[in-house]
Amino acid sequence: MSLSLSTGDLAAPVLRPPRPAARAEPPSPVARPEPPAPVATTVRVERRAGRAVVDLRRGALAPYLLDDDGRTVRVALVAAGALLLGGDDVRVRVHVGAGAALELVETSGTVAYDGRGRGARWRVDVVVEDGGVLVWDAQPFVVASGADVDRGTTVRLGAGAVACLRETLVLGRSGEAGGRLRTALRVDGPGGPVLVEDLHLDGARPEPGVLGGHRVLDQVVLAGRRPDPGPVPAGRGAPTVLALEEPGAVARRLGDEVHRVALTDVAAAWCVQAGRQHAG
Amino acid sequence: MRPAVSQDVLLALLADARLPTGAHTQSAGLEPALRAGLHPDDVPAYLAARLRTVVRVESATAVVARHAVLRGLGASGVDTPAATAALRVVEGEWAARTPSAALRRSSEQLGRGYLRLARRLWAGHPALAALEAVPRGPVGHAAGGAGRTAPAGPAGAGRAGPPGSSGRGRRGPARPLVLGVTAACAGLDPIGVARLVALDDVQTVASAFLKLAPVDPLVTTGWVLAAAPAVDALARDVAHLTVAADLPAAGAPLTEEWAEAHVHATERLFSA
Repeated sequence: MSLSLSTGDLAAPVLRPPRPAARAEPPSPVARPEPPAPVATTVRVERRAGRAVVDLRRGALAPYLLDDDGRTVRVALVAAGALLLGGDDVRVRVHVGAGAALELVETSGTVAYDGRGRGARWRVDVVVEDGGVLVWDAQPFVVASGADVDRGTTVRLGAGAVACLRETLVLGRSGEAGGRLRTALRVDGPGGPVLVEDLHLDGARPEPGVLGGHRVLDQVVLAGRRPDPGPVPAGRGAPTVLALEEPGAVARRLGDEVHRVALTDVAAAWCVQAGRQHAG
Repeated sequence: MRPAVSQDVLLALLADARLPTGAHTQSAGLEPALRAGLHPDDVPAYLAARLRTVVRVESATAVVARHAVLRGLGASGVDTPAATAALRVVEGEWAARTPSAALRRSSEQLGRGYLRLARRLWAGHPALAALEAVPRGPVGHAAGGAGRTAPAGPAGAGRAGPPGSSGRGRRGPARPLVLGVTAACAGLDPIGVARLVALDDVQTVASAFLKLAPVDPLVTTGWVLAAAPAVDALARDVAHLTVAADLPAAGAPLTEEWAEAHVHATERLFSA
């Protein structure tokens, strides 16, 4: 196996002391002890002369190396503790080096619980360098009633880089209206912005034309290339496919229950196409 | 030079439904919304949701386009290439915030109507020349922000394919770009152009409703008046914006889904 791992930061189930944050938060006006600066979960993959160099750092999520087939490194992301609670500030950094390919695998979804007046943050920053590939078929993100979540995602793609990202947002557990969720997604490609989209959702205040009465937004974003031409799914329950101006597309389905199967075919196809970019 | 026209008269002129821009072909998404099951009682809430999402993006884009072209033209007022480059950046940010190709096409269609108007009323204005010089085709390819050095794509590449099947192939500037440039030509303030976009959307929905459902026009006029505080609040929120990357990006997934479905709808009254 031509696999080398940087020492010291393997995702062993060992609690590491928090490192100083690169960017400290401004001091809170409330006289409350400062929470420790969040440690970013970091997954960094590079490929040097065929050898995968993987650097994994544990934060609120613990990354585990699954395997490397010589082309794609697979890494699992597992919650390292109870998530997502009021006051939590989860940060994930993903870096795919030039020509490398990474697939992130989640074993379970995330539930943002009632924060009892405290909000939670979930921030993911992705960089895919030239010719790199990231595939992340993420599990559902459930916002329980009472939760108040800010979720930010940035993706920067180099020349010829491709990302295929799944996002399944669910307002409320079974029988719940769901809490508040503000998402901010920004994908930049080599030619400029590819997709910039914020969603402001509140399970208690459905808006016509936004989610309407739907509780679930399931989508796959392919960025850095267009999907292969093929039969467009049609009929009731079929996803809507949005062709972006820059190379990329969004397949999206709004629903009332988590029926991820509706997008499974599209997600699988697009993720394969993302990887093929790498092979070619 | 033209004699100065007051902000109030300019806004009244540009917001007038009798303006020959082809706005009567538009329902601001109302027709597909009703077709998908939006209840008529929910139209005021629909208006509010649009003002918070897609209209906010359009309105802010017009404000920033106005600023970009005036700033690009510079103190001399004639630096057209700089203004063109600035407009390209704004257009790229707008397109990334408008993921539905159907909605981008509608915006271009409306943009054409306003462009015709501007060409006649402000012929020769450098702001208009800057807009006309924005290359068409894959707009994003040279639309990188400051510091980027992405090479321009081959002109016209990627135009193949029917509308809606591919994201590319822009045939004209989007409506908020044209309105921003028109505001620059006419001397309309940022808050004026922001109000124009927002009020126009509300009026478009209200008047389209009259063609789609039997209702007393006074009812829909009441909706417009009820939405006016939200129109003003939106205009105040976005009027100060100057940076394209700071444009709001609030999305409306269901609106996009309806717009895409409407492209393939038969027996429709409105094109969007």
